[in-house]
Amino acid sequence: MIEENIHIIRLIFVLPLCIFLFQCNPSTKNIPKAKKGVLATPLIINNTTENKFLSQYGFFKGELADLKPNKDVFPYTLNTPLFSNYAYKERFIYLPDGVQMSYKEDDVFSFENGSVLIKNFYYPKDFRMENGTRKIIETRLLIKENNIWKPLNYIWSEDQQDAKLNYVGEKINASWIHTDGTKKSTIYNVPNNNQCKNCHLKGKDISPIGPTVAQLNRKYAMLSEKMSQLEFYKEKNILKNLPEHKNFPKFAVWNNEESGSLEDRAKAYLDINCAHCHQPKGSAKNSGLDLRLSQINLRKQGIFKPPIAAGKGSGDLQYSIVPGSPNESIIIYRMNSNDPGVMMPEVGRSIVHHEGVNLITEYIKNLKVDASR
Amino acid sequence: MKKIIYTFLIIITIIIIVISYSRPMPEYSPERNYIDLEEEILEAFILAKDSSTIQLPEGHFLFSQSLSLDGKKHLTIKGMGMDKTVLSFKGQEQGAEGIKISNSQNIILEDFSIEDAVGDNLKISDTDTLTINRIRSAWTGKVSTENGAYGIYPVLSTHILIQDCEAIGASDAGIYVGQSQHVIIRDNKAFFNVAGIESENSSHVEIYNNDSYQNTSGLLIFNLPGLTVYGNNIKAYNNKVYDNNLKNFGVKGSIVSAVPKGTGVIIMATKDVDFYQNFISNHKTTNLAVVSYEIFAADQDPEAKVFIDANESNGIRTIDSDFQKDQAYDPYPGRVYVHDNSFKNEHYLPTFSNDFGKLWFFKNNATIPDIAYDGILPMGTKLSDPDVKVCIRNNGDASFAFLDAANEFEYFSNDLKPFNCIIK
Repeated sequence: MIEENIHIIRLIFVLPLCIFLFQCNPSTKNIPKAKKGVLATPLIINNTTENKFLSQYGFFKGELADLKPNKDVFPYTLNTPLFSNYAYKERFIYLPDGVQMSYKEDDVFSFENGSVLIKNFYYPKDFRMENGTRKIIETRLLIKENNIWKPLNYIWSEDQQDAKLNYVGEKINASWIHTDGTKKSTIYNVPNNNQCKNCHLKGKDISPIGPTVAQLNRKYAMLSEKMSQLEFYKEKNILKNLPEHKNFPKFAVWNNEESGSLEDRAKAYLDINCAHCHQPKGSAKNSGLDLRLSQINLRKQGIFKPPIAAGKGSGDLQYSIVPGSPNESIIIYRMNSNDPGVMMPEVGRSIVHHEGVNLITEYIKNLKVDASR
Repeated sequence: MKKIIYTFLIIITIIIIVISYSRPMPEYSPERNYIDLEEEILEAFILAKDSSTIQLPEGHFLFSQSLSLDGKKHLTIKGMGMDKTVLSFKGQEQGAEGIKISNSQNIILEDFSIEDAVGDNLKISDTDTLTINRIRSAWTGKVSTENGAYGIYPVLSTHILIQDCEAIGASDAGIYVGQSQHVIIRDNKAFFNVAGIESENSSHVEIYNNDSYQNTSGLLIFNLPGLTVYGNNIKAYNNKVYDNNLKNFGVKGSIVSAVPKGTGVIIMATKDVDFYQNFISNHKTTNLAVVSYEIFAADQDPEAKVFIDANESNGIRTIDSDFQKDQAYDPYPGRVYVHDNSFKNEHYLPTFSNDFGKLWFFKNNATIPDIAYDGILPMGTKLSDPDVKVCIRNNGDASFAFLDAANEFEYFSNDLKPFNCIIK
């Protein structure tokens, strides 16, 4: 609603000016109208054998919308999550009886066939009461089958009774009271099945992104108040090869100042929001930008790195990151945009993550200009 | 007296500039009645099985997002004809490409139009054996920098046939093949693009029977630095390249934004080029130029220069001022054979909008040469050395300019005799 209002207000002021000046291009796009068509014969025969409904998997007990995990379904959370239009997420791992996941030092944990990662996207009615009434939008599954990961998406019905298999994506209106008490709304885009690959493709294969040791290394109240998730999983005997030492890498929590320095929090944020593409094996490898937290080369981190394939996405700016000058940094320009040809990340959001932009802005502002440039 | 001549020249220049800038950009505005079958067609793309055909119906279909295919084999997507089946991405909200195909094998696309994607209309990468038949790629409305970059764009692929296609309005290249091998581009039409047809860093390419007109430049055979794949061995014949004098509307910083308008054909930094029996006419800068990457880089606005990390880029086309650092890159043309072509020019006065045009004013008696060769050679080589040789013969009464650009045009010459040789 806010986004729409801004457009309308902008139009009210800009349009007369446009008419006055005869030529001007209001930034609102002119989307033509299309009337709904009907196919005489279907284009393909859809004979999928997948479960049509989420309830068929039996991941949850009781009311489905309560997301109470059944046996063999384990909750997990991440230190710094991907921004998805302010949606909240509840994540679970399903491991068939007796099947373990195994620790990897610098990569996503490895999983055996039959394992499923379950991610539920929802909006609390009021963000100030996170455990109050909520609306679940979609549940995304990554299913390990024949040694490859298969993405499937289920969209929840309005009455929250069940979620239905969807391949083509959907636009859903979402609205909530924000943390500051303002009313917000947006069009939430459930991705289509091919778009899953946009983020999850590593080389030629689909891979999970979240469950790394640095992301899982934290406590999660749903599991235990005393021990970290890693220790909990070990105790439950579902995590193997966990080293004996306790010096596991740990991502900062992007919006918790006690969890790390400004730089740590900013880099954790960039890692989870950007590095699934912006890394040597990701789909944006051609940009030369590597936003993984582990990257130590400053140029590859974007500092004084000129754009390569950005086209008009560069906004006529010269570098991804100009230390001390967020306004001259392409990264800020693109995080602040909603134009599909400019915005970053290019999928997964339709509104700007202001809190995230503020974090990266502060980070760039406080970066020192290196004389060795 | 001198003063009068100079004043006269300046006035003419101003007139030419005014004329060239006031000419409106051309327009392609077909009538469209959009139908929404987005969900159905998207579902067909997502669930398409290997070894199957998706038959698209007649109609103008509007999409708010890209259509993508990944990892498919033996798949055909066909419409009812490029005038009948139109896939439009006008006002696209998600994704940059119109249609994007990757990591696939034996793909056939035929008989439909793709319009108005935010980025590229049709991009195919990492694919082997690809046929593109009777596909029209277009950006509608007045030609503009806002148009997407590439029309029909296979990259990092092998065994590609592009035939009977049309490419209209790309703000980079209409038909563009990059970093690919074994390519045939034939019987296509390209107009209103910055570059009509372009082969870049590709090898074993045959370009024939194409019409390229009213672009900024008609046909580019390029080899650019900083990429993992370099190209050579290009044949271009029976092409008609004419009237490519459109104002350059490329995005600032892109390599084609540096291409001077009014160049019919540019062969740059490519080895083993056989260019024959083509019809090239009516270009205000030159009908054909054979140049090294050095002159291209030097012609640049220094502000627009950017550099790229070798090994890490693909499909990238920006200007590289650091190209000398790329050991694997050879910035000079060689074994280029231009023969049995027909050149004509209705334009008498060169354009003043670029350095070449200005050079013709002062060095070439204010006439436009049909063929220009910059003559920049690698250190320690001479024009007749077999690896860097350029042979130009049997092109009727084509006029010629040897620039000697490496020596500040000292031996600028119109003499074709030194280039009357044969390359086998």
